[in-house]
Amino acid sequence: MAKPILTIKNLTKKYGENVIFHDISLTVNEGDTIVIIGPSGTGKSTLLRCINLLTCADDGQIWLDDLEITAKGCDDDRVRQHIGMVFQNFLLFNHLNALDNVMLGLTKVKHMKPDEARVKALRELERVGLADRAEHYPGQLSGGQQQRVAIARALAMDPRIMLFDEPTSALDPELIGEVLEVMRKLALEGMTMLVVTHEMGFAREVADRIVFLEKGSIVEEGPPDELFYRPKHDRTREFLWKITELYGKKDENK
Amino acid sequence: MDVAKFLQYIASGTAYTVGVTLIALPSGLILGTLLALLNVYSGKTSKALTNLYSTVMRGIPPIVLLFILYFIVSGSINLSPFLAGSISLGIVSSAYQMEIVRGAILSVSGGQMMAARAVGMSKRQAIRNVILPQTLRLAIPPWSNEAAIVIKDSSLVYALGVPEILRRAQLISASTQQPFLAYAAAAVIYFILVFITSRLLDGLEKQLRIPANP
Amino acid sequence: MKRLVLLVVVITLAFAAVGCKSTSDHLSAIKDAGKIVVGTSADYPPFEFVDEAGTTTGFDVELMNEIAKRMGVTVEWTDMPFDSLIAAVQEGKIDASIAAFNYDEERDKTVDFTDAYYTTEDSFTVQEGFTGDLSDPMNLANYLVGAQSGTVQDGWITDNLVTPGLLPEDKYFRYERVDQAALDLQAGRIEVLMADYVPAQAVVSQFGGMTIVYHGVLSTGPLNIVVPEGDTALKDEINRVLKELQTEGFVEELAFKYFSE
Repeated sequence: MAKPILTIKNLTKKYGENVIFHDISLTVNEGDTIVIIGPSGTGKSTLLRCINLLTCADDGQIWLDDLEITAKGCDDDRVRQHIGMVFQNFLLFNHLNALDNVMLGLTKVKHMKPDEARVKALRELERVGLADRAEHYPGQLSGGQQQRVAIARALAMDPRIMLFDEPTSALDPELIGEVLEVMRKLALEGMTMLVVTHEMGFAREVADRIVFLEKGSIVEEGPPDELFYRPKHDRTREFLWKITELYGKKDENK
Repeated sequence: MDVAKFLQYIASGTAYTVGVTLIALPSGLILGTLLALLNVYSGKTSKALTNLYSTVMRGIPPIVLLFILYFIVSGSINLSPFLAGSISLGIVSSAYQMEIVRGAILSVSGGQMMAARAVGMSKRQAIRNVILPQTLRLAIPPWSNEAAIVIKDSSLVYALGVPEILRRAQLISASTQQPFLAYAAAAVIYFILVFITSRLLDGLEKQLRIPANP
Repeated sequence: MKRLVLLVVVITLAFAAVGCKSTSDHLSAIKDAGKIVVGTSADYPPFEFVDEAGTTTGFDVELMNEIAKRMGVTVEWTDMPFDSLIAAVQEGKIDASIAAFNYDEERDKTVDFTDAYYTTEDSFTVQEGFTGDLSDPMNLANYLVGAQSGTVQDGWITDNLVTPGLLPEDKYFRYERVDQAALDLQAGRIEVLMADYVPAQAVVSQFGGMTIVYHGVLSTGPLNIVVPEGDTALKDEINRVLKELQTEGFVEELAFKYFSE
């Protein structure tokens, strides 16, 4: 019996009159990799930020395991410790080297002793293949390496779930592979992941389920094979056709 | 007339100038940083209040503020002109330093705060461990400028009766009728002080610069 | 938010707290402390100036030191610009001030004056070779005039020449210190310097090329020591010692030492 880690019920987010997304419900089970796809501006990033409580939802509820994190009096900082977040533009702490980037949360938030934190941080860097870059500062790392450090930083907190917000969108094409490789490995290790991405290859190969989000609502969700080859909705088909053509053209141009 | 003795008299005012600066600059930095943090992270009311503070303080000539603050500060607490003058000058400087730090905070991308919160840090932890270390580095070059201004503005405390370099030059000018000599001596001392300070801060900036590929 | 409230409270307190010292036991406080804090502006030779050793000295300074000695206390000298002295006495920053002050009705509203310790005259200083006519002081209105701001001469020129419209504002120059005015006289930027007779003599002898064409009592007169408003105990004590010093001939000797050229 699959155990739900993240449960979202009827979540709505507005900025003033502008509805970002509406009545979203979604469940992520332990060990699942869910990929959210959809055109830009459909509220995918905002959805992740709501889950991480970086933005307040206007309506609806979210549970992390059995705890309702949208409830009043819930300790936001505590919740965030258990949700790892990887941003589109990495957002490493610029003044710290890779090791210290990973260590900072361990020492300041988890109050680990520096020695233990160092060991743990090095292990996480090794997990993303960057143990040899521990002393490098973000400015000395490639985009792909920075994103891998960011993943290690999130992993170090031993999160219940990892959220990825278009983790490869800001990368040069030749650097995308190394990041996807790390994510693929994580999925295989059984990490629970919710990924927003345009990388259809990754989605098809790694996702347990794909959610197609458009204009603030979930249009369709299902296993990759079903969604890619037998979409129920025309809008899904249209989007997938557009995106494959777009990426196909890109490949031709190379 | 013994020129050497007079020059020595002027030069011995350096201790006051340095002393005033060493009190005014750091107290202005601490106050300015707190105000900048309130301005950026603490909601509409504190933003409006700190903006008002900054606008008013920067809109009044330092010497006028110095007099007002001096008579307020030392009217309530019994402070020496030296301390009262230094603190007053620090308050004047805090408005400028607030703007420096505020500018630096804003140029550290908002994403840094978000990333820190995402790891589970509280706002306070994020400010202390992520925002301020970057902000203060960025603030060094404009701060070096402000340090030079405070060193020069420290001459204003002569108006409160602190015998610093400028006041001593005035007294020597009056008693010797050699204004050029007296003021040239003062100018040289001020220049040396500003020069050394800016060199030291340049060095500090290089020391703290975050490594990056060219 | 808490920090903000604290900040507002601190600022409000700072603005609200205005020093209000009782003056009744000021004199006994001075005697208990064994020192009196006296302000002067040591840029006015020979009344008050800095000597080679960097010590404040001059006619006023020696006189005040002697007064204090006879009161059984020592003087702690505080130097500040002339313009700040009255405010400093008023605010209680200093116990008294001696700086060649003339009695002045405006000043008397905010501070008190002791009995006179010396009487001065006004003077007009010009460059040698000056051909104008200053036999009537009101003729001053025909020239470029300079004086030290905040002095009684400044007040006299303003009240008698500038306000009635005899001397245009742009032909009248106020200086922070008398030596600055003397420099401008030397450079020809002003034609006549109006100042106390005694320091004017000092200026003439130090600068050279200048002469005093008029001296007499216009604005000046007796010099007094300034004490806080209503502080009769301190005023009476200083007056008592002053009388003593005048009877003994101490003041006269001191004047001879500093003013006879």
